[in-house]
Amino acid sequence: MFRSIIKQRPNWRESASEYGFTYHTMHGEAYWDESAYYQFSLEQIERDIETPTQELHQMCLAVVDKVVSDQQLLEKFQIPSNHWDYIRNSWLAGEPSLYSRMDLVYGGSGHAKLYENNADTPTSLYETGFWQWLWLEDQVNAGKLSRKADQYNSLQEKLVNRFAQLKLQHPAETLYFSCCKDTDEDRGTVQYLEDCAQAAGVTCKFIYVEDIGLSADNCFTDLDNLAITWMFKLYPWEFMLREEFGDNLAQSNVSWIEPPWKSVLSNKALLPMLWKMFPNHPNLLPTFFEDELQDSQLKNYVKKPIFAREGANISIHLAGKEVYSSPGPYGDEGYIYQEYSPLPAFGDNFTLIGSWLVDDQPAGISVREDKNKITQDLSRYMPHIIL
Amino acid sequence: MKRTQNIDLGAMRKAPKLFAFKPLAFAVTAGTLIGCSDNSEQAQIFTSADECVSNNPNQVEQCQLAYKEAVDEAVKSGPKYSNADACAADFGPQNCASYTSSNNQSFFMPLMAGYMLSSLVNGGFRSAPLYTSYSRYSPAYGKWTSTDGNLFGSTRNRNVRVGNKAFNPKPAVKRTMSRGGFGSTISAKSSFSGKSSRSSWGG
Repeated sequence: MFRSIIKQRPNWRESASEYGFTYHTMHGEAYWDESAYYQFSLEQIERDIETPTQELHQMCLAVVDKVVSDQQLLEKFQIPSNHWDYIRNSWLAGEPSLYSRMDLVYGGSGHAKLYENNADTPTSLYETGFWQWLWLEDQVNAGKLSRKADQYNSLQEKLVNRFAQLKLQHPAETLYFSCCKDTDEDRGTVQYLEDCAQAAGVTCKFIYVEDIGLSADNCFTDLDNLAITWMFKLYPWEFMLREEFGDNLAQSNVSWIEPPWKSVLSNKALLPMLWKMFPNHPNLLPTFFEDELQDSQLKNYVKKPIFAREGANISIHLAGKEVYSSPGPYGDEGYIYQEYSPLPAFGDNFTLIGSWLVDDQPAGISVREDKNKITQDLSRYMPHIIL
Repeated sequence: MKRTQNIDLGAMRKAPKLFAFKPLAFAVTAGTLIGCSDNSEQAQIFTSADECVSNNPNQVEQCQLAYKEAVDEAVKSGPKYSNADACAADFGPQNCASYTSSNNQSFFMPLMAGYMLSSLVNGGFRSAPLYTSYSRYSPAYGKWTSTDGNLFGSTRNRNVRVGNKAFNPKPAVKRTMSRGGFGSTISAKSSFSGKSSRSSWGG
């Protein structure tokens, strides 16, 4: 695994607008960065990333299975008690999932370690499944990269196939796609999923999360007052469960993508539970709940809120002293403590691997770079190849 | 190969989307050439069960049952309006009636103008309610239209070929009591960043 400089495609910005990739530059800074790429060997991809991802996912499902039937654990996961049945039933009914992204620390050798699991609302999907794929095609066709160059990225193919499977359970239903207003990135991610669903023959419709209505007989409705029965939402379960319409979820009879049981997986309490159930697993970092910290012997650790996004409210503690912290609005629900395992540095960049799954199938990676030790929402997205 | 084999780049391009009326579901009247598409079927339109019976004297029971099914479907999925004027604007004056549902909501719906009946090979049938508009400003003026606003051509036509989806039960139209019950956490958390445009709330 190494980082190589490469000439940017001369027309990539025009191409981006042609394909509707609107958020390659955010807040005046590059988000998509093709001035360099990462190169992996096939062995690194298959042995160090793909296989562990599959195994980690199965371990995560084992945690869900345990947590949904254990009131004490549900409390530790900060899941509101009025939704325990709803979440347990969703798990026991085997409600199907679509996708997730595990963030891994990996620098080319040794065991990849799980940082966290974004199993509910992962983004950077379009950049991964389509845009970096197109980058490789273009660069190979332009003679800048070898014809033998491959990419660990079957995301789009697997998403389309997954939607085709899900359609079998909803033959005549419209699948609604939803995200919040005023974010190009989320809207783009949802549009991409809609494109994949459409390619699988699913009838799709879009509505903003804020526009969802509720009827007197407990149906969620679209802006034409039609009942919503099947919906993808790029909006976290931990928010939905606590908001006004949360009380109507159980009666509303919507098949959600992701399903409610994902609220257990996307929760950072997952990490200390994994360590408890699979102690010393090579792909896990020692991680503890607040009440276990004292006995844990952790000297150098990262303190993360149970609910947080985009690297907010994270602090690094070395030998008992806080040496770094990121601001943010999270942390009310408590923290977990994970052994400090710094991101590998390539030049003056810190690099994080996002390892994707479609349902339970590993499906590719994304590479993000940051000048900071904590990857935040303004980190840059870099393409990769296998050679 | 560890990557997606092929992507249809044409399908990934985003041309600006144009506003469009509902696609014309009406195909061709009976007697004209039938295309090679096999997912359409022949349907007859009747304005009442009696009219259906007089055209199909051997199928009295089927005519009546189909009529009843169409009426039920109209109540379930027909256009619903919270006031009479809005209904009249789309369907014309004296063409709307108030309706009170079992849970005591009241609203206005257009009167069913007819129903579409399609005979199946196996002896079964499918039916769907139809409306028409008497308002000259409505796209459905003088035309048959279905519960979801598809237009099926002039009301003079009584034999039509329609896509077989025309008979699928439509999602029920609801009376929405409130909106905005999801999304409130976001506005609370976003005031933190102070950015004019938000970045993702995914992760």
